[in-house]
Amino acid sequence: MISVEQLGKRYGRQVAVADVSFSVPKGEIFGFVGPNGAGKTTTIRVLATLTPADRGRATVGGIAVGEDPAAVRALVGYMPDFFGVYDRLTSEEYLEFYAACHGVPRGRRRKVASELLELVDLGDRREAQVDTLSRGMKQRLCLARALVHDPSVLLLDEPASGLDPRARVEMRELIQELRRMGKTILVSSHILPELEELCTWVGFIDRGRMVAVGPMADVRDRVASGRRLRVDLVQPDEDSLLHVTELVRNREGVVDAQVIDDHVELTVNDAFADHELLALLVNKGLKVRSFGVVEGDLSEAFMRLTGDHHS
Amino acid sequence: MSWTGRFLRALDNPIVAKDGISRMRSWRAPLAITLYLGLLGAFGFGIFSIEVLSSSYSRPVSAQIGAAVFGALAWFQLVLICLFAPALASASISGERERQTFDVLLVSGVSAFGIVWGKLLASLAYMYLLIVSALPLFAAVFLFGGVDLEQFTLVQVITVVTASSIGAVSLLCSALFRRTLTSTVSSYGASFALVAGTAVAGVILSYIKVLGQAAGGLEPHPLLFANPFYALNTILTQPSGNPIHAGRLLQLLFLARGRSSDWGPQLEPWQLSIAIMLIAGLLSIVASVLLVRGRRASLPFRRPRAAVVAQ
Repeated sequence: MISVEQLGKRYGRQVAVADVSFSVPKGEIFGFVGPNGAGKTTTIRVLATLTPADRGRATVGGIAVGEDPAAVRALVGYMPDFFGVYDRLTSEEYLEFYAACHGVPRGRRRKVASELLELVDLGDRREAQVDTLSRGMKQRLCLARALVHDPSVLLLDEPASGLDPRARVEMRELIQELRRMGKTILVSSHILPELEELCTWVGFIDRGRMVAVGPMADVRDRVASGRRLRVDLVQPDEDSLLHVTELVRNREGVVDAQVIDDHVELTVNDAFADHELLALLVNKGLKVRSFGVVEGDLSEAFMRLTGDHHS
Repeated sequence: MSWTGRFLRALDNPIVAKDGISRMRSWRAPLAITLYLGLLGAFGFGIFSIEVLSSSYSRPVSAQIGAAVFGALAWFQLVLICLFAPALASASISGERERQTFDVLLVSGVSAFGIVWGKLLASLAYMYLLIVSALPLFAAVFLFGGVDLEQFTLVQVITVVTASSIGAVSLLCSALFRRTLTSTVSSYGASFALVAGTAVAGVILSYIKVLGQAAGGLEPHPLLFANPFYALNTILTQPSGNPIHAGRLLQLLFLARGRSSDWGPQLEPWQLSIAIMLIAGLLSIVASVLLVRGRRASLPFRRPRAAVVAQ
């Protein structure tokens, strides 16, 4: 549904996006992850037809963004990272205004606004002026605004930034509801645990380049997990833990071995046979309480992929 | 779509309604109308009182009082419009940028022309409201006589065209500059150049023309015709008009000497003034549309670049 191929964009001498390629299948929620200044917003702005790309190709629904921006705008609902509202309008008038901008027939505008206000749980605030709404309500209203023309693709740039935990949960549930409605959603965020729960696909961007992209489970497994092992002893005293690290440190495939709090963590590569380690420890008389693979999370994957440049 | 349909669609611009609602819900709107009518009424009454007091010995006919009050009101209204118009239009687009609503407007279905036209119409509508609300004050002068309907109509036309022209130029400043403060200052600068600049330069050039000439009276340089106050003055002081041939106009424009050319149609100063202001307004609208369109990825001359295939 969304396809970006070798996108490049610079502002003067500043490279905003160097080489970004990814695609998002229809009906998926794509988490666009990267540190500040990585190029997320620029990429989203290119997809939203707001910024022309210097090179590369971006398509939405098979339509090239640069060739038919009006058709792309009809397909896309865009929610920027920073946005304002028209304070003196009521919530309903606000949505009706954007419905009119998108060419929704006059007779349907009130109904569209009403349905969207119900969807974002602002049905009881339809007569309230926008400046009286809380930040979370304004975020939801802005999301409703992006939906007035029933787009099939949503570009959400940091939709949960600045929200309190409760509002974040509400926003997350809303995005999941939109996916159930068949929308394809690209969402950028720094709040990685939320993306992990929300997204089905993920792409990591750093310094204007994609460093990993694919289905969430694949990327997580590929980048973060499976190569760290945790060893817990029955009696985790310092000597025993150090003994474990000395035993394994020089074995083939072991990259690193460290005592962390009351357990040992090993970083190993593909050449390492996990079962041999367990046999070795037991044979050496160490009482192993548990032995297993450390499940990686998105934060860890993010740190690993971007850590080299930023550390 | 037929031209009638396009015209009706151009009038049915959602931005006009939105800006109208926003403006009229603020406390500034009634305050500005009150201030405008209050100043105009007080000034008119002041002139009326002065005329009555100063003429108590000479027993003038009421027509003289009517003409004097009407002229003073017309001048003062034009001054007020020159002061109000930049303030009303100079924040149109820069205000959207500062409010962070401009990007969202750009990705909506409204064209660049629709945005500019809507913003201009919304600003002008309020200025027209000011002018219309002052009509009863002008109409009161008819009680005294001394003013014919043609004069009255031409004064209102000059005022409306001046308001529209300054509004369009201010809108251009608003599209050109990101900050409303810069836009407002430059709008007042442009307004001042139109009013005072053309007057000063026109008078100087008029005198340069007669320098060294043995004979011949002072003729106004065409730059003066761009000045709405000059046009107003000719309407008020020379109701029968002071037409000038197009050929003579070009002669004067280039300070050419010799026999007066009499080719081309004869034009009244107010006609020239209106034509010049309308051209300035139209050019400002075109430039504003180009500037707003430049904010999107859809500039015609950028299309080939935006669609470039990846290198």
